[in-house]
Amino acid sequence: MPSPSDSIDPANGVSRRSFMQTLGASAAAASITSSAQALEQRPSLKREPGVEGPGPIDIVLDVNGQPRRLRVEPSTTLLEALRLQIGLTGTKEICDRGSCGGCCVILDGKLVNACMMFAADAAGAKLTTVEGLASGGALQPVQEAFIRHDALQCGYCTPGFLVASAWLLKETPKPSLDQIKKALSGNICRCGTYTNVFNAVLEASGQPVLIDPILS
Amino acid sequence: MPDSTVLLPTNNRPANTGSSMNDDASRLDGIAKVTGAAKYGRDVYVPNSLFVAFVRCPWGVGELVSSNRDAAMKVPGVLDVELTKKEGQYHGATVGHMIAESPAALSRGMSELACRWKRREAKTRLAEEIGEEPPIGEAAAAALAKGSKRLEADYSTEVQTHSSLETHGVSIDFKSDSAVVYASTQGTFSVRDGLDERLKLKRSQYEVVCEYVGGGFGSKLGGAGKEGITAAMIAAKYNRPVYLFCNRAEEHLDTGNRPGSRTRVRIGFNDDGTIVGGEIRTWGSVGPNKSGGGCNVPSGRYNLGDTKKAHEDVALNAGMPRAFRAPGHPQGSFAEEMMLDEVAFACGLDPLALRLKLIRSDAIKEMASLGARQIGWDNRRPTGSQKGVVRRGMGMGITSWGRFPAAVEAEVVINQDGSIEARTGTQDIGTGQRTMVGIVTSSTLGVSLDAVTVRIGRSTLPEGPGSGGSVTAVNSAPAFIAAAEDAKRKMLEALTQRMNAEPGELDIADGVIRRGERNAVQWKDACAMLGNAITGKGVNNRATVDADKTTGNSGGAQFVDLEVDTETGVIAVRRIVAVQACGRVVSRKLAESQIIGGVIQGLSYALFEDRLLDRVTGAMVNPNLEWYKIAGPCDMPRIEPILWTKDGTGARPLGEPPTIPTSGAIACALFNALGTPVRSLPLTPDKVLTALGSGERA
Repeated sequence: MPSPSDSIDPANGVSRRSFMQTLGASAAAASITSSAQALEQRPSLKREPGVEGPGPIDIVLDVNGQPRRLRVEPSTTLLEALRLQIGLTGTKEICDRGSCGGCCVILDGKLVNACMMFAADAAGAKLTTVEGLASGGALQPVQEAFIRHDALQCGYCTPGFLVASAWLLKETPKPSLDQIKKALSGNICRCGTYTNVFNAVLEASGQPVLIDPILS
Repeated sequence: MPDSTVLLPTNNRPANTGSSMNDDASRLDGIAKVTGAAKYGRDVYVPNSLFVAFVRCPWGVGELVSSNRDAAMKVPGVLDVELTKKEGQYHGATVGHMIAESPAALSRGMSELACRWKRREAKTRLAEEIGEEPPIGEAAAAALAKGSKRLEADYSTEVQTHSSLETHGVSIDFKSDSAVVYASTQGTFSVRDGLDERLKLKRSQYEVVCEYVGGGFGSKLGGAGKEGITAAMIAAKYNRPVYLFCNRAEEHLDTGNRPGSRTRVRIGFNDDGTIVGGEIRTWGSVGPNKSGGGCNVPSGRYNLGDTKKAHEDVALNAGMPRAFRAPGHPQGSFAEEMMLDEVAFACGLDPLALRLKLIRSDAIKEMASLGARQIGWDNRRPTGSQKGVVRRGMGMGITSWGRFPAAVEAEVVINQDGSIEARTGTQDIGTGQRTMVGIVTSSTLGVSLDAVTVRIGRSTLPEGPGSGGSVTAVNSAPAFIAAAEDAKRKMLEALTQRMNAEPGELDIADGVIRRGERNAVQWKDACAMLGNAITGKGVNNRATVDADKTTGNSGGAQFVDLEVDTETGVIAVRRIVAVQACGRVVSRKLAESQIIGGVIQGLSYALFEDRLLDRVTGAMVNPNLEWYKIAGPCDMPRIEPILWTKDGTGARPLGEPPTIPTSGAIACALFNALGTPVRSLPLTPDKVLTALGSGERA
């Protein structure tokens, strides 16, 4: 079995370490935050309680650093507002009831499902969607790692996985494999890219990717 | 010693670098997909679009008694409600549709419509609808009697829905004399073919576009579907753009599924495991139309002596099957692999040794031996020998797939500004078609991958096949090799003239024009010398496929190592080794992804997926993604894809074969751990505990 400081993989410039060692490290790691747990912590609402509607209401959403003035029905979800009104369609509607993670966005530092809250409730908060991950044309390391490790096939779940991964890396800069699995447990991929996603997140956090014993 | 004809998993390949056409290339659409820029059909909202929803039957069998069309029509924004049928034969069957100016108007209109349904008795259970079993045939009975031992067992599988993450539908940008149809489809050209009469346009007046498709797995084959046809007719009628996509529930109910199955095995065998013969009778649970329930066993992969096969489709009041990644195969493979493990157990044989005796293909035997070494089969404990709470099990299964011919037209265009385009209309549903085309073109032409722009997923591009039967890569690669060779020949001919070179003196390597041994002209300068753009053409068809001896069928073997908790019945799969014949690998990473994806879908099928129909109402009770459970991140084992490149220099089919043997291998590993078989998928904790209970009483 290779040692922790062993050879450099020529493909991705990452040093190799054994899968079991990675596992061992993760077992020792402390608290695990999951997207599900994060979702329970409701973001603080910036607006005063009151009656809205039934007619359309005017709101301002701060999306990826840009103010967006919208007139929405009170029942419009954040997901609908992003996709239909603002035209940011990277955030996907897949299950439309908070069970797939396809519409993950970051709202005031919390990971939320955009289908599970009203657009009006997001007014005043700072929102980051998948379109806002890359800044100034430069991809984030985790985006580059997704491409390098082929952590996407059809790509429809990818925005949700990326936003959740970016959020995880901000909360936990060096997550263990177990922490990565738990953090992404609110996301579903149908093509079957999970193991490549794990490798992408490990690499983006400067950690060795999963490897297998050499066939002898 | 690593074997040079075997490619170990990507992160462990010191000896094998350079063994595929491109080891390190990443998906060409990677950036579009990680930035949210990739536009899927469902992402295209054309201004001024009409929104459409189907009115659907809520019960297994329902009769539409009344509805309040007038109230629905009074809802602001609702344009029309059309009810065309009075009855539905399954939950989700369409009886009409509603058209509105916005999704919100549509949902208000639907609640005002207040359809009242009379529920009738529905057929919901395969086991109950099979009816009287015909007696075993005479020949099968004779073969059965010749064996010294016999196995009589029933295996069953439940319905699996495709659950593509992008639902079925189209967004049509309709203008009075032209249209662009943004479709979520596995067949660009099959959508085009079905829409001219509906759009009331000539084929030259509209284009089907599907540059990105959010999964399909077989369910998006076969034309525009009811979604596309309905939307097209509305677009033509109202002379407006139309947006029609299913919601998640509709996707489960009415866009196809892998049918459930029952397999009744009655075979005779000898003490050495030789199968003498008998009968394998299968049933498939299908929709009310009674078709599409194939269950592929015996598969022909094993020598099962004189075993007869019989199959019958059984109609249920439930959504109809459609092709699903290797149709009929995972169901049949589960039954066949379990049957062999039970035969091995009855004979006191190692299941690997028994299979090595019965597998017909020498290549698959080699792959099975290789996979066994990789998983550590020697550490497998005898079936039934463990007594602890948590027990370990190993199992295996094999796969095979045919190479099906498909017509492909390919174009490689070299422009005077130095740009290169590879063009084919065939879509990329996540398999990597776009990248595969780019790699084949660039390496044939002698330029870098990033020099090539790949244009796919449009009906105005050269014609190619639908993504079904694992045909796209195996048939597109030869066409693009031919097209790139044609373009290269034409370019070198033109340059030979302009540079006063001898015929055969010029070549292209690493994006530079070589004259003999030296670099003569840079790519851009060479293209500037061309009098006009060059178009290389290539075709692939039945004749070229028949003439091509470098390729052929695909095979593979998978091995599973798992743990099962005998107190809770919960299974944790630890490792899966997947050896897969690939022939010449075009893209290493993408080939591995196909295998990993197939394995994960197989695992999900084996452990979780179950379309639940209410016995009384016939309604599906879990048309969502929380109760229709799909394997998630925490369910993942370590997966080791091993690419077997020994058999030929051509590409091989890779989409479907890796998902065939996974569920059977997992079930066999569970049998090994428990000592008593669980003969029904999915392998849920209740079935594990029931099997343990009955096994320990016996």
